[in-house]
Amino acid sequence: MASGEVILRGLTKRFDDQLAVDGIDATINGGEFFSLLGPSGCGKTTTLRMIAGFERPTAGEIVLDGVDVASVPPHERNVHTVFQNYALFPHLNVFDNVAFGLRRRKLAKDEVRRRVQEALALVELHGLANRTPRQLSGGQQQRVALARALVLRPAVLLLDEPLGALDAKIRKQLRVELKALQEEVGITFIFVTHDQEEALSMSDRVAVMNAGRVEQVGSPPEVYEDPATVFVADFLGVSNLMEAEAVGSGRGECMVRVGEFVLRAGCGDTAACGAVKIVARPERLELLSHEDQRENRLPGMVERTVYVGASRQVIVRLPTGAAIQASVTNTGDAEMYRQGKPVSVYVPAGALRVLASGPAGERSDPAVPASEHAEPSGVRS
Amino acid sequence: MTVTGIGARELATPAAPAGPEPVRRRRLLPAVLRNPWGRPRFLVLTTWVYIAWALLPVGIAMLFSFNSGRSRSVWQGFSLRWWWTDPSFSVFHDPDYTHALVHSLELAALDMLIATPLGVLLALGLARWRGRGSGAANGLMLVPLVTPEIVMAVSLLVVFTQLAIVPFALIHLGTGAQVVGQVTFSLSYVVVIVRSRLASIGPEYEEAARDLGATPIAALRLVLLPLLLPAILASMLIVFALSIDDFVVTQYMSSNASTTTIPMFLYANARGGTTTPALNALATILVVTTLIGIGVAYLIYTALGRRASTGEVSALRDLSGLETA
Ligand SMILES: Nc1ncnc2c1ncn2[C@@H]1O[C@H](COP(=O)(O)OP(=O)(O)OP(=O)(O)O)[C@@H](O)[C@H]1O
Ligand SMILES: [Mg+2]
Repeated sequence: MASGEVILRGLTKRFDDQLAVDGIDATINGGEFFSLLGPSGCGKTTTLRMIAGFERPTAGEIVLDGVDVASVPPHERNVHTVFQNYALFPHLNVFDNVAFGLRRRKLAKDEVRRRVQEALALVELHGLANRTPRQLSGGQQQRVALARALVLRPAVLLLDEPLGALDAKIRKQLRVELKALQEEVGITFIFVTHDQEEALSMSDRVAVMNAGRVEQVGSPPEVYEDPATVFVADFLGVSNLMEAEAVGSGRGECMVRVGEFVLRAGCGDTAACGAVKIVARPERLELLSHEDQRENRLPGMVERTVYVGASRQVIVRLPTGAAIQASVTNTGDAEMYRQGKPVSVYVPAGALRVLASGPAGERSDPAVPASEHAEPSGVRS
Repeated sequence: MTVTGIGARELATPAAPAGPEPVRRRRLLPAVLRNPWGRPRFLVLTTWVYIAWALLPVGIAMLFSFNSGRSRSVWQGFSLRWWWTDPSFSVFHDPDYTHALVHSLELAALDMLIATPLGVLLALGLARWRGRGSGAANGLMLVPLVTPEIVMAVSLLVVFTQLAIVPFALIHLGTGAQVVGQVTFSLSYVVVIVRSRLASIGPEYEEAARDLGATPIAALRLVLLPLLLPAILASMLIVFALSIDDFVVTQYMSSNASTTTIPMFLYANARGGTTTPALNALATILVVTTLIGIGVAYLIYTALGRRASTGEVSALRDLSGLETA
């Protein structure tokens, strides 16, 4: 059986004057749950459509299990798609929808019936074979779309925001089911989403895209904890992005000046100097009383507290004018975070990342040869 | 009463401030016109007057097809004489009448069978065609809809009778020229109806079919055509209705008495003193077939169209309005 490995090499798509996808390189392993995550318009759908065969790449290769398929028409690719609004054929019932692809392959009647029933059982829709798509709920339609593609046993399944049209509750539930299903069938899933929570919770690896380029590829903890670029840090949740100046480094650490305070930063591009950006996740910060004399503190004043049940989001205004957000566990001590109260924000060195400033989104990872990011990806008209 | 009590009551009756005003204002306008929530009686009346004005003459003409006497203006009692029972002068027995009827149906059938498939192909082509010229072609496709029919008729006449070059020289006045003429102007209607349906279907279904292993032809046959069926059926009926009551082009493209259609026959005989109520019967047939054609087209388009997707009947509504106007 095909392993479902997909290699993208310099994949590029230009529409008239618009560069939708700008030279993507990625290797997607067989059987992997791989997400393309990025803001609206960054080229996720276009990338997926090129893999499916609906768009012809302007340049680059799409290697599916060792064969460049860039110029193979969609109906001859062993790759199937679950469309964002499912595109179930409205004039056919559930059974015929799922059987559509099998019949194109001229399989025997019994074989078609058996495999359709198997596929419907897989997505837990046995009883609904005779319904038309209009008689199904959104979640059920989504499962039919999955069954319709999976029944063909593709090497790779492409999913373009398959949960986007559903309401929040079903979405959360299907997230779990979809991941379980992927593990069960063992097919490569390439999953497009702009919802970071969705990408982080389901994927084996995530590619964070911006303006037609891949900013970073990594496992969910990697991209969340170790964002390679300012864009990734900013896109994946609140990251307390601040301007700073690197004023010296050594032993894998780096001193950065924020306003009149100097902090020790223990990760990221600690060899940088000059203007840099620093980030720290809210949940890694601690709020201390104003008088505390520990190192790596930034004094400030509580501007606002947002109660979110298990924790509180405390927004602290620094003397530099920047605001920093800390997430503190709810201990019931509300007095400490009263509005207007002076506090110290403790930033552990291990939680403070340095990202080389410069054109937004440029890689700071020294392992990447300069030629690969000669053109700043932030440039986009 | 407590403060919370007032708050609750206000929440419960949010419409209270909009209730009847206790203070009586001076009457500047009659109450009927002053009340903005009242029924717009004057407009309703105007509408009904217009409808009566427009439909009564047609209704009266249709009624006289059931007159028992020869008169087309003096009522002499009810009979089916001019429809059927008169063995030589009723509309279905007099050969002049039956010939016009049969020829009209012949032309309508040919127009329908030629213009519909051709129009579907053009609509598919226009929908696929991107890039230079496609915008212009899409716009120009609408020109035949607004070209004065007399201009089109005269132009076709000149082209068919004066130009000695292929393909025009191959078309001779008579049934052939009539079919070509009718197809020429009814094609645009098919294209507009099918294209608007195509736009509302979108490319996803076809892409899904291709994704599941269908060749382009299979995707067209198994997915696109079934989804277009309501539009195709509606187009056929619209073309039928257009053809049945077309006068100008059909008249200009005709050769002799053998190519007379219902509208041409009506035109030629309406003022004749010897004409019987059978003519009214013929007119009735024309009105009823046209209405049925458009009515059924509308029903098919909305009912079948709703099955696939909703909310784009407007194109046909516009067209049927345009057509019956
Ligand atoms: N057929 C097309 N013709 C011209 N431009 C296009 C076409 N398809 C996409 N684009 C452009 O390419 C860019 C990338 O579009 P794409 O649909 O891939 O974005 P996306 O990441 O999927 O966004 P979203 O999250 O909103 O779906 C957009 O700027 C879009 O305007
Ligand atoms: Mg998209």
